Amino acid sequence: MIIVIGSRHDPVAVAMADSWPGAGLCGAEDFTRPGWVWRLDDRTALRWVVGGHAVPDVAISGVLVRRRTFYPEEFPATHPDDRAYLAAEAHAFLVAMLSVTGARVANPARDGMFGDEAIRLDRWLAAARDEGLVVRPVRVSSDDQPRRRTPAPLKVEVVGGDAFGAAPPALKAGAVRLARAMDLLWATALFDGRRRLLTITGAAAPDEEARAALGTMLAG
Amino acid sequence: MILVWGPADDPPIEHVLAALQARGAETIAFGDEALASLGYDIAFGDGISGSLTAGGVTLALDTLQGFYLRPGATRQQTQPEAELKAASALLALAAAAPATVVNRPWAGRSNWSKPSQLQLIAAAGLAVPDTLVTTDPNAARAFLGRHGRIVYKSISGVRSIVATLGPAEADRLGGVATGPVQLQRWIDGADIRVHVVGDRWWATRVDCAADDYRYAARDGIAIAMAPFDLPAELGERLVRLSTRMGLLVSGIDLRLTPDGAWCCLEVNPSPGFTYYEDATGQPIAEAIAALLMGTPFAPRN
Repeated sequence: MIIVIGSRHDPVAVAMADSWPGAGLCGAEDFTRPGWVWRLDDRTALRWVVGGHAVPDVAISGVLVRRRTFYPEEFPATHPDDRAYLAAEAHAFLVAMLSVTGARVANPARDGMFGDEAIRLDRWLAAARDEGLVVRPVRVSSDDQPRRRTPAPLKVEVVGGDAFGAAPPALKAGAVRLARAMDLLWATALFDGRRRLLTITGAAAPDEEARAALGTMLAG
Repeated sequence: MILVWGPADDPPIEHVLAALQARGAETIAFGDEALASLGYDIAFGDGISGSLTAGGVTLALDTLQGFYLRPGATRQQTQPEAELKAASALLALAAAAPATVVNRPWAGRSNWSKPSQLQLIAAAGLAVPDTLVTTDPNAARAFLGRHGRIVYKSISGVRSIVATLGPAEADRLGGVATGPVQLQRWIDGADIRVHVVGDRWWATRVDCAADDYRYAARDGIAIAMAPFDLPAELGERLVRLSTRMGLLVSGIDLRLTPDGAWCCLEVNPSPGFTYYEDATGQPIAEAIAALLMGTPFAPRN
């Protein structure tokens, strides 16, 4: 089974779960249902809850994380005073599950974070530098000048060791190296017209070919 | 120049600032209330360049040699956008700056997931309590049955009061079905709090009958604190653990059992060390100041 960790209000997450045979969407509401088990010393005891059903970890082949946090508003059945606490607890619990699962995680948790929060700016910049990629500097300013947008950036989708998209082979090879260095089995890297890396993300919607490859990889 | 970010009335901020100033360090200090008016222009690329303006003073980023961070939690839903943007920029700067940072934001997040942190502690060769995180009442009751007395605590870094449960309270575990809870085997013994600063450590023994000694005074329960002579091998292991977690400063909670075994409960990446410093006279703030300044540590007295 493949688990897509996301929201039922995220059409990309829903479409992925629908398109892969046997896949299920694990939403915030699942974290308020009975069945979850996390153990430090016994991975065979691990259990997830997906669509309201408890699923042993050994039955899960792959996990894709389509969220970067939990929001208090995602827990409408919980008392309003407790929702922020529950959101923090669900976040912490998902990090713990991702850290011990025996399944292949497309975009692993790191340093207490998951989703694109785990990819974070300082980390991908350092990894890109180590892999010899040229990066367009990222400017962060309190001066709210309109940002210059890059027209039609070159996109490379990475699934495992494969790269998809119309970018030149050198950029594809660089994106694969970068994703590997960051332990990402799924990522989208964007480059500008001067072939400088703009960013890398796990939050983009995959094109059809990449989505099929991702499903095949996560199905094991 | 040392940048200190945190509330002016936060005791660790006060102590570290005082220690820095006593050592003649140049500092720039501000709290979250200054974020909205903070000016910054930072370019992240092969290196970091740019400037920061706070309180009318503009600094080139390459003059910052140290950061001491104890900001409040960001409030994504309610905090003004300018404050969120400034906090985000400062955290990105602190994550990547070629400076001494206590602590790097990513390392400071290690206790955002306590079970996950427990994995790191166990991997470092320290004993940890048997732990279950669950929404399954039957699994929770079986865990209680196995251990007789268990601890209930938060999974995340959100501060909660640690409480214990015994067999008579097994029915309360039905409540776990509505959200994950972390349960741990109760470890009997004395609390030992160790503060690691760089490659140094200071230990404090806490004797208290409360389940959570931090709240003992509130409940009128007596508490005794005294410096503790930690075995050097254990102290060195805790320094290695702290280093592995990317932490230059940490507060590590240990329990020393009646038969002399050690168990590690948690690593706090942003310790409120002044509670222990005030009780024992340990020069923790001075050690942090020396670390930030890159100077040898020698207590002033």
